[in-house]
Amino acid sequence: MNHLRGAGFRRRAAVAAGIALAGLLAAAGTPALASASTARPHAGHRLVIAYNMGAEADPFFIAMNVGAAAEAKKLGVTLDWQGDPSVYSPSTQIPIVQEMLAEHPDGLVISPTDPNALQPIVNEAIAEGIPVSCVDTHVTNLSKVLTYITGNNAQGGAAAADAMAKAMHYTPGKTYQVAVGMTSPTTTTNVARLAGFKAEIAKKYPGIKIVSEAYSESQPAVANSNVNDWLTKYPHLAGIFAIDGTNATGASAAIQAHNLVGKIALVGYDAYANDVALLQQGVFAALIAQQPALEGMLEIKYMVQYLRTHSRKGIPHELTLPNIVLTPHTPASVLAKYTYPTA
Amino acid sequence: MVTSTGAVAPAGRRPGGAVRSMVRGLVGNQQFMLLIALAALVAYFTARAPVFLSNGELANILTDFCSLILLGIGETYVIASGGIDLSVGSATSLSGVVGAFAMRSLLGSHQGEALVLFVGTLVCVSIGLAIGLTNAALINWARLVPFVATLAMLGGAAGLAIVISNGEPIGLDPRAISLTTAKLGPFSYPSLVVIAIVAACWLSLHLTRYGRYTFAIGSNEFAARAAGIDVRRHVTSVYALSGALAGLAGMFVYMRLGSGAPTAGLNDELQAIAAVVIGGASLYGGVARMSGTVLGTLIITTVTSGLIISNVQANWDQVAVALLIAAAAAMQALRPARRA
Repeated sequence: MNHLRGAGFRRRAAVAAGIALAGLLAAAGTPALASASTARPHAGHRLVIAYNMGAEADPFFIAMNVGAAAEAKKLGVTLDWQGDPSVYSPSTQIPIVQEMLAEHPDGLVISPTDPNALQPIVNEAIAEGIPVSCVDTHVTNLSKVLTYITGNNAQGGAAAADAMAKAMHYTPGKTYQVAVGMTSPTTTTNVARLAGFKAEIAKKYPGIKIVSEAYSESQPAVANSNVNDWLTKYPHLAGIFAIDGTNATGASAAIQAHNLVGKIALVGYDAYANDVALLQQGVFAALIAQQPALEGMLEIKYMVQYLRTHSRKGIPHELTLPNIVLTPHTPASVLAKYTYPTA
Repeated sequence: MVTSTGAVAPAGRRPGGAVRSMVRGLVGNQQFMLLIALAALVAYFTARAPVFLSNGELANILTDFCSLILLGIGETYVIASGGIDLSVGSATSLSGVVGAFAMRSLLGSHQGEALVLFVGTLVCVSIGLAIGLTNAALINWARLVPFVATLAMLGGAAGLAIVISNGEPIGLDPRAISLTTAKLGPFSYPSLVVIAIVAACWLSLHLTRYGRYTFAIGSNEFAARAAGIDVRRHVTSVYALSGALAGLAGMFVYMRLGSGAPTAGLNDELQAIAAVVIGGASLYGGVARMSGTVLGTLIITTVTSGLIISNVQANWDQVAVALLIAAAAAMQALRPARRA
């Protein structure tokens, strides 16, 4: 990742120099840069797809990169994959997108860290003639976006509730205490998953009571501590919904430390290799797997199709991929298919 | 060069003045006030949820305490010497990940658990030590101020931890997890080791020449150099100690999670600095108490667990710690200067 950062710094320096040059040209009344910004690919030109995500080192995006890179190679286009290594924030994302656009890519795929904050730069790219697609998350106004592909977080939350109820052998009339581990109260994916989880419980499992929601702030040790505290406070805790990878790591360790494997229905989110191994050992009752590699592959496929045909035919404006429920009984071949690839 | 201690009642006061003076002295004693604050917090959380005073919850708090106090000890030395170490959280993450790679490799070749943990500890401490020595080199020879030098290491080590792990936890070690469970009352075996380290560092800071040199450099670096102290060498050793302890914290968190997580120490440097400041240390250097750091760490971990146990919205944790820092800083500002 450091080499990417180095490239980023060099690019920032180049952009700064470019801005200075643009200032000089503007002062001289030269319109050269304006025409460059709207240049379109000519025949034989190798297409460049800029792909920007929230946090490059997140295993979810690493898996997405695997799918996107394979499709780019297959279609003979260049993939410019950039993002902040770990900070999921518009303040770090926007300057990187600006640098990527300064190189005039043929298309931009973006995973906005904030629906409103990234809207202006998406508008700017579209105005310059660069088609834009969204992946995983989206900008507020999707009307001019080529396509938006995502996993269905609400459906994933509902599937987690179903998997948990099944694992705890839910019986109407009985009461079950469950707790939810989140990253923060404002992480949009967490909020959508929790909403789906709660809606499913309200609809189908009135005996399940959510007794606590706690936040890890992206620290697995904090997630671990939260679960330890729950186990003290609620000795009859029946289930835990670890809503993301960090919480899954912390919760699975706590369950093992207290010898509660198989006694508490632990449902995690995302199919990281470690968690899939723990699923096979029965530490997790279920994992809700997204399909990041497929999302990446489809984004490249649709963008290249549009750039080569200039037609939206066959390209869905919005596509929601279902999440997959993995359990200890899922065949190994299926587990292998949905485990997030890292290379 | 003198550290914070209890106040002494002046002689020659009228009757009753001694009592008032003693009360004033106790109120002005940060450690005493921290004890009161800790007792009040325990009483409050116990009243809200009696289970807070159970063996299980003490074990939970102790587990949280152990990784944070290892960073707090090192930070106490660094702050006492007039510096600051922002890299300890990242050092925890990176050492835990590198150690996890080593231990995963050994577990894969079916080595015994004792050997695996021993090698893992060595690797973690070595990585932390290397980070600490790099900090010292940047400060002593590149002439960077400690804030900038350790800030650079914070970013570098955190990024490297993510790069080499691909953002995922490394290793699956349930036997390591079982070691961190309470065995003797609320104490696990690793927690006893941590407590022994705290005691040794406590003695070293307050009762040895090494500790006196640390305070001397933090009070007045030029005077310390004039007095014949090899300041560069001592500063190097202080940052090396802080880094090595952060590496040990990385090993502790590895055992706790059964894996080396790239975000294991995320923002822990701020928690550690908060604990030291709440404990009465001055960020200007020359003033610090290991007992204060221990109490500061206990208060932070008590608040974190107490809010969960009493079902209070967890984000109040940050507000509570902020208030404690403000109160500790106010106490320092209102206290008469005791530095020589």
